[in-house]
Amino acid sequence: MKSAVTTVVSAADAAGRFPSMSDFESVKGSFDRAKARLEAAEKLASCLDKFTNLAVDAVYQNGSYEQANKDKCVRDIHHYLRLINYCLVTGGTGPLDEWGISGMREIIRIQLLPTAAYIEAFIFIRDEIKINDVMSQQAETEFKGLLDYLINALA
Amino acid sequence: MLDAFSRTVVAADAKGAAIGSEDLSDLRKYVADANKRIDATLAITQNVSCIAADAVAGIVCENTGLTQPGGHCYPTRRMAACLRDGEIILRYVSYALLAGDPSVLQDRCLNGLKETYLALGVPTSNAIRAVEIMKIATVAIMTETNTGRKMFKGINSGSGAQCQDIAAEAASYFDLVIEALS
Repeated sequence: MKSAVTTVVSAADAAGRFPSMSDFESVKGSFDRAKARLEAAEKLASCLDKFTNLAVDAVYQNGSYEQANKDKCVRDIHHYLRLINYCLVTGGTGPLDEWGISGMREIIRIQLLPTAAYIEAFIFIRDEIKINDVMSQQAETEFKGLLDYLINALA
Repeated sequence: MLDAFSRTVVAADAKGAAIGSEDLSDLRKYVADANKRIDATLAITQNVSCIAADAVAGIVCENTGLTQPGGHCYPTRRMAACLRDGEIILRYVSYALLAGDPSVLQDRCLNGLKETYLALGVPTSNAIRAVEIMKIATVAIMTETNTGRKMFKGINSGSGAQCQDIAAEAASYFDLVIEALS
Protein backbone atom coordinates (compact mmCIF):
# COMPACT_ATOMS: atom_id res chain seq x y z
CA MET A 1 0.00 0.00 0.00
CA LYS A 2 1.50 3.28 -1.11
CA SER A 3 2.03 5.95 1.50
CA ALA A 4 4.71 8.51 2.22
CA VAL A 5 6.72 6.11 4.37
CA THR A 6 6.40 2.98 2.24
CA THR A 7 7.44 4.91 -0.89
CA VAL A 8 10.63 6.01 0.84
CA VAL A 9 11.33 2.54 2.22
CA SER A 10 10.72 0.84 -1.16
CA ALA A 11 13.13 3.21 -2.88
CA ALA A 12 15.79 2.67 -0.20
CA ASP A 13 15.33 -1.10 -0.38
CA ALA A 14 15.57 -1.14 -4.19
CA ALA A 15 18.95 0.57 -3.86
CA GLY A 16 19.97 -1.62 -0.89
CA ARG A 17 20.79 1.36 1.27
CA PHE A 18 19.80 2.51 4.73
CA PRO A 19 17.25 5.33 5.02
CA SER A 20 19.16 8.55 4.36
CA MET A 21 18.77 12.05 5.74
CA SER A 22 16.68 13.10 2.75
CA ASP A 23 14.42 10.08 3.34
CA PHE A 24 13.90 11.20 6.92
CA GLU A 25 13.09 14.70 5.74
CA SER A 26 10.49 13.46 3.30
CA VAL A 27 8.90 11.28 6.00
CA LYS A 28 8.99 14.23 8.39
CA GLY A 29 7.31 16.41 5.77
CA SER A 30 4.42 14.00 5.51
CA PHE A 31 4.09 13.91 9.30
CA ASP A 32 3.88 17.68 9.40
CA ARG A 33 0.80 17.51 7.20
CA ALA A 34 -0.58 14.52 9.08
CA LYS A 35 -2.41 16.54 11.71
CA ALA A 36 -4.73 18.14 9.13
CA ARG A 37 -5.14 14.83 7.32
CA LEU A 38 -6.11 12.90 10.43
CA GLU A 39 -8.53 15.63 11.46
CA ALA A 40 -10.15 15.51 8.02
CA ALA A 41 -10.37 11.70 8.25
CA GLU A 42 -11.97 11.85 11.69
CA LYS A 43 -14.54 14.47 10.74
CA LEU A 44 -15.31 12.76 7.45
CA ALA A 45 -15.91 9.47 9.27
CA SER A 46 -18.48 11.14 11.49
CA CYS A 47 -20.24 12.83 8.55
CA LEU A 48 -20.00 9.99 6.04
CA ASP A 49 -23.70 9.12 6.06
CA LYS A 50 -24.76 12.74 6.13
CA PHE A 51 -22.61 13.75 3.16
CA THR A 52 -23.69 10.71 1.17
CA ASN A 53 -27.39 11.31 1.70
CA LEU A 54 -27.22 15.06 1.05
CA ALA A 55 -25.33 14.51 -2.20
CA VAL A 56 -27.44 11.64 -3.55
CA ASP A 57 -30.70 13.38 -2.64
CA ALA A 58 -29.57 16.51 -4.44
CA VAL A 59 -28.52 14.58 -7.55
CA TYR A 60 -31.64 12.41 -7.79
CA GLN A 61 -34.03 15.24 -6.92
CA ASN A 62 -34.11 16.79 -10.38
CA GLY A 63 -35.27 13.58 -12.03
CA SER A 64 -32.58 13.31 -14.67
CA TYR A 65 -31.55 9.88 -13.38
CA GLU A 66 -33.55 6.71 -12.85
CA GLN A 67 -34.74 6.49 -9.27
CA ALA A 68 -34.15 2.73 -9.34
CA ASN A 69 -30.40 3.35 -9.26
CA LYS A 70 -30.51 5.58 -6.24
CA ASP A 71 -29.78 2.87 -3.66
CA LYS A 72 -26.79 1.64 -5.61
CA CYS A 73 -25.56 5.18 -5.93
CA VAL A 74 -25.86 5.68 -2.17
CA ARG A 75 -23.89 2.48 -1.60
CA ASP A 76 -21.13 3.48 -4.01
CA ILE A 77 -20.80 7.10 -2.89
CA HIS A 78 -20.56 5.83 0.67
CA HIS A 79 -17.89 3.36 -0.47
CA TYR A 80 -15.84 6.05 -2.23
CA LEU A 81 -16.05 8.42 0.72
CA ARG A 82 -14.78 5.61 2.91
CA LEU A 83 -11.83 5.13 0.55
CA ILE A 84 -11.16 8.87 0.71
CA ASN A 85 -11.18 8.50 4.49
CA TYR A 86 -8.49 5.79 4.08
CA CYS A 87 -6.47 8.00 1.73
CA LEU A 88 -6.56 10.79 4.29
CA VAL A 89 -5.16 8.36 6.84
CA THR A 90 -2.37 6.95 4.65
CA GLY A 91 -1.45 10.32 3.18
CA GLY A 92 -1.39 8.94 -0.35
CA THR A 93 -3.87 7.90 -3.01
CA GLY A 94 -3.08 4.19 -2.52
CA PRO A 95 -6.49 3.01 -1.22
CA LEU A 96 -8.44 4.88 -3.92
CA ASP A 97 -6.11 3.66 -6.66
CA GLU A 98 -6.01 0.05 -5.55
CA TRP A 99 -9.57 -0.47 -4.33
CA GLY A 100 -11.58 2.23 -6.02
CA ILE A 101 -10.24 3.34 -9.34
CA SER A 102 -8.63 0.34 -10.99
CA GLY A 103 -11.38 -1.60 -12.73
CA MET A 104 -13.99 0.93 -11.68
CA ARG A 105 -15.08 2.04 -15.14
CA GLU A 106 -15.72 -1.56 -16.18
CA ILE A 107 -17.78 -2.29 -13.08
CA ILE A 108 -19.89 0.83 -13.35
CA ARG A 109 -20.48 0.24 -17.05
CA ILE A 110 -21.50 -3.38 -16.61
CA GLN A 111 -24.05 -2.38 -13.97
CA LEU A 112 -25.45 0.23 -16.39
CA LEU A 113 -25.05 2.95 -13.80
CA PRO A 114 -24.61 6.55 -14.94
CA THR A 115 -21.08 7.76 -14.09
CA ALA A 116 -22.35 11.32 -14.46
CA ALA A 117 -24.51 10.89 -11.36
CA TYR A 118 -21.44 9.95 -9.34
CA ILE A 119 -19.48 12.91 -10.63
CA GLU A 120 -22.37 15.26 -9.87
CA ALA A 121 -22.63 13.85 -6.35
CA PHE A 122 -18.94 14.39 -5.64
CA ILE A 123 -19.02 17.87 -7.15
CA PHE A 124 -21.99 18.59 -4.90
CA ILE A 125 -20.01 17.47 -1.86
CA ARG A 126 -17.05 19.56 -2.95
CA ASP A 127 -18.89 22.75 -3.83
CA GLU A 128 -22.24 22.84 -2.07
CA ILE A 129 -21.83 21.25 1.33
CA LYS A 130 -20.41 23.62 3.92
CA ILE A 131 -17.46 21.43 4.86
CA ASN A 132 -16.01 24.36 6.73
CA ASP A 133 -18.61 23.91 9.43
CA VAL A 134 -17.26 20.52 10.40
CA MET A 135 -13.52 20.75 9.78
CA SER A 136 -10.72 23.30 9.70
CA GLN A 137 -9.46 25.04 6.58
CA GLN A 138 -6.37 22.82 6.21
CA ALA A 139 -8.35 19.64 6.75
CA GLU A 140 -10.85 20.81 4.14
CA THR A 141 -8.04 21.41 1.64
CA GLU A 142 -6.78 17.85 2.12
CA PHE A 143 -10.29 16.43 1.72
CA LYS A 144 -11.10 18.49 -1.38
CA GLY A 145 -7.81 17.57 -3.00
CA LEU A 146 -8.80 13.91 -2.83
CA LEU A 147 -12.34 14.66 -4.05
CA ASP A 148 -10.80 16.38 -7.08
CA TYR A 149 -8.57 13.41 -7.67
CA LEU A 150 -11.54 11.06 -7.64
CA ILE A 151 -13.68 13.31 -9.87
CA ASN A 152 -10.88 13.44 -12.43
CA ALA A 153 -10.52 9.67 -12.34
CA LEU A 154 -14.26 9.20 -12.89
CA ALA A 155 -14.57 11.79 -15.65
CA MET B 1 4.43 -3.44 2.36
CA LEU B 2 2.50 -1.62 5.05
CA ASP B 3 3.21 1.14 7.52
CA ALA B 4 1.37 2.17 10.68
CA PHE B 5 -1.16 4.14 8.60
CA SER B 6 -1.87 1.57 5.92
CA ARG B 7 -2.06 -1.20 8.54
CA THR B 8 -4.98 0.68 10.12
CA VAL B 9 -6.54 1.11 6.70
CA VAL B 10 -6.30 -2.59 5.83
CA ALA B 11 -7.83 -3.52 9.19
CA ALA B 12 -10.68 -1.02 8.72
CA ASP B 13 -11.33 -2.19 5.16
CA ALA B 14 -11.71 -5.77 6.35
CA LYS B 15 -14.58 -4.52 8.50
CA GLY B 16 -15.86 -2.19 5.79
CA ALA B 17 -15.85 0.67 8.25
CA ALA B 18 -14.46 4.17 8.01
CA ILE B 19 -11.62 5.09 10.35
CA GLY B 20 -13.00 7.13 13.22
CA SER B 21 -11.73 8.77 16.38
CA GLU B 22 -10.87 5.67 18.39
CA ASP B 23 -8.68 4.16 15.67
CA LEU B 24 -6.90 7.45 15.10
CA SER B 25 -5.48 7.85 18.60
CA ASP B 26 -2.64 5.37 17.96
CA LEU B 27 -1.78 7.10 14.71
CA ARG B 28 -1.77 10.49 16.40
CA LYS B 29 0.76 9.08 18.86
CA TYR B 30 2.84 7.78 15.94
CA VAL B 31 2.81 11.24 14.36
CA ALA B 32 3.58 12.95 17.68
CA ASP B 33 6.53 10.61 18.22
CA ALA B 34 7.89 11.16 14.71
CA ASN B 35 11.03 12.95 15.88
CA LYS B 36 11.86 10.23 18.39
CA ARG B 37 11.25 7.58 15.76
CA ILE B 38 13.59 9.27 13.31
CA ASP B 39 16.22 9.63 16.05
CA ALA B 40 15.89 5.97 16.95
CA THR B 41 16.32 4.99 13.30
CA LEU B 42 19.37 7.25 13.09
CA ALA B 43 20.80 5.39 16.08
CA ILE B 44 20.81 2.29 13.90
CA THR B 45 21.92 3.82 10.60
CA GLN B 46 24.84 5.66 12.17
CA ASN B 47 26.19 2.55 13.87
CA VAL B 48 25.51 -0.27 11.45
CA SER B 49 29.02 -1.61 10.99
CA CYS B 50 29.75 -1.20 14.68
CA ILE B 51 26.65 -3.15 15.77
CA ALA B 52 27.13 -5.91 13.19
CA ALA B 53 30.87 -6.24 13.90
CA ASP B 54 30.24 -6.37 17.65
CA ALA B 55 27.69 -9.11 17.23
CA VAL B 56 29.94 -11.26 15.05
CA ALA B 57 32.93 -10.65 17.31
CA GLY B 58 30.64 -11.66 20.18
CA ILE B 59 29.66 -15.04 18.76
CA VAL B 60 33.29 -15.75 17.85
CA CYS B 61 34.53 -14.90 21.35
CA GLU B 62 31.84 -17.04 22.93
CA ASN B 63 32.64 -19.91 20.61
CA THR B 64 36.27 -19.74 19.47
CA GLY B 65 35.92 -22.87 17.37
CA LEU B 66 34.04 -20.82 14.79
CA THR B 67 37.18 -19.21 13.36
CA GLN B 68 39.29 -22.38 13.51
CA PRO B 69 39.65 -24.48 10.35
CA GLY B 70 36.36 -26.38 10.01
CA GLY B 71 34.46 -23.72 11.95
CA HIS B 72 31.53 -21.91 10.42
CA CYS B 73 33.30 -18.53 10.31
CA TYR B 74 36.39 -20.00 8.60
CA PRO B 75 37.76 -18.83 6.18
CA THR B 76 37.32 -15.05 6.16
CA ARG B 77 34.91 -15.25 3.23
CA ARG B 78 32.36 -16.90 5.50
CA MET B 79 33.02 -14.44 8.30
CA ALA B 80 32.42 -11.62 5.79
CA ALA B 81 29.11 -13.22 4.77
CA CYS B 82 28.16 -13.21 8.44
CA LEU B 83 28.90 -9.48 8.77
CA ARG B 84 26.99 -8.77 5.58
CA ASP B 85 23.91 -10.61 6.84
CA GLY B 86 24.07 -8.72 10.13
CA GLU B 87 23.95 -5.45 8.22
CA ILE B 88 21.08 -6.66 6.03
CA ILE B 89 19.03 -7.57 9.09
CA LEU B 90 19.76 -4.17 10.61
CA ARG B 91 18.69 -2.51 7.39
CA TYR B 92 15.30 -4.20 7.44
CA VAL B 93 14.88 -3.50 11.14
CA SER B 94 15.54 0.18 10.40
CA TYR B 95 12.89 0.15 7.66
CA ALA B 96 10.36 -1.51 9.97
CA LEU B 97 11.14 0.97 12.73
CA LEU B 98 10.66 3.94 10.42
CA ALA B 99 7.41 2.53 9.05
CA GLY B 100 6.18 1.52 12.52
CA ASP B 101 5.17 -1.86 11.13
CA PRO B 102 7.04 -5.17 10.78
CA SER B 103 5.59 -6.19 7.39
CA VAL B 104 8.60 -5.04 5.36
CA LEU B 105 10.92 -7.06 7.63
CA GLN B 106 8.65 -10.11 7.45
CA ASP B 107 8.03 -10.04 3.70
CA ARG B 108 11.43 -9.06 2.40
CA CYS B 109 13.91 -10.42 4.93
CA LEU B 110 12.54 -13.13 7.21
CA ASN B 111 10.35 -14.98 4.74
CA GLY B 112 12.42 -18.07 3.87
CA LEU B 113 15.50 -16.92 5.78
CA LYS B 114 15.63 -19.98 8.02
CA GLU B 115 15.25 -22.34 5.04
CA THR B 116 18.06 -20.50 3.24
CA TYR B 117 20.35 -20.80 6.26
CA LEU B 118 19.57 -24.49 6.66
CA ALA B 119 20.27 -25.09 2.97
CA LEU B 120 23.56 -23.19 3.16
CA GLY B 121 24.60 -24.96 6.37
CA VAL B 122 24.63 -21.81 8.49
CA PRO B 123 24.16 -22.78 12.15
CA THR B 124 20.97 -20.96 13.21
CA SER B 125 21.88 -21.12 16.90
CA ASN B 126 24.91 -18.88 16.24
CA ALA B 127 22.87 -16.62 13.97
CA ILE B 128 20.26 -16.23 16.71
CA ARG B 129 22.95 -15.36 19.25
CA ALA B 130 24.33 -12.68 16.88
CA VAL B 131 20.85 -11.18 16.50
CA GLU B 132 20.47 -11.16 20.29
CA ILE B 133 23.71 -9.22 20.63
CA MET B 134 22.60 -6.80 17.92
CA LYS B 135 19.34 -6.28 19.78
CA ILE B 136 21.09 -5.49 23.05
CA ALA B 137 23.59 -3.16 21.35
CA THR B 138 20.92 -1.34 19.35
CA VAL B 139 18.70 -0.75 22.37
CA ALA B 140 21.67 0.48 24.42
CA ILE B 141 22.76 2.91 21.71
CA MET B 142 19.21 4.10 21.09
CA THR B 143 18.47 4.82 24.74
CA GLU B 144 22.02 6.09 25.35
CA THR B 145 22.53 3.56 28.10
CA ASN B 146 25.71 2.21 26.49
CA THR B 147 28.92 2.72 28.42
CA GLY B 148 31.25 5.37 27.06
CA ARG B 149 30.42 8.07 24.58
CA LYS B 150 27.06 8.95 23.04
CA MET B 151 26.93 6.94 19.85
CA PHE B 152 24.48 8.82 17.68
CA LYS B 153 23.50 12.30 16.73
CA GLY B 154 19.75 12.72 16.40
CA ILE B 155 17.73 15.66 15.16
CA ASN B 156 16.66 16.28 18.77
CA SER B 157 19.75 16.54 20.92
CA GLY B 158 19.77 14.47 24.09
CA SER B 159 16.74 12.45 23.16
CA GLY B 160 18.07 9.03 24.10
CA ALA B 161 16.04 8.71 27.28
CA GLN B 162 12.91 9.66 25.37
CA CYS B 163 13.44 6.83 22.90
CA GLN B 164 12.52 4.14 25.48
CA ASP B 165 9.20 3.21 23.86
CA ILE B 166 10.61 3.19 20.37
CA ALA B 167 13.59 1.13 21.56
CA ALA B 168 11.15 -1.44 22.95
CA GLU B 169 9.51 -1.51 19.54
CA ALA B 170 12.89 -2.02 17.87
CA ALA B 171 13.61 -4.86 20.30
CA SER B 172 10.34 -6.49 19.27
CA TYR B 173 11.51 -6.45 15.63
CA PHE B 174 14.75 -8.21 16.61
CA ASP B 175 12.60 -10.72 18.49
CA LEU B 176 10.74 -11.38 15.25
CA VAL B 177 14.06 -12.19 13.59
CA ILE B 178 14.97 -14.56 16.40
CA GLU B 179 11.54 -16.16 16.21
CA ALA B 180 11.89 -16.63 12.45
CA LEU B 181 15.24 -18.39 12.88
CA SER B 182 14.21 -20.60 15.81
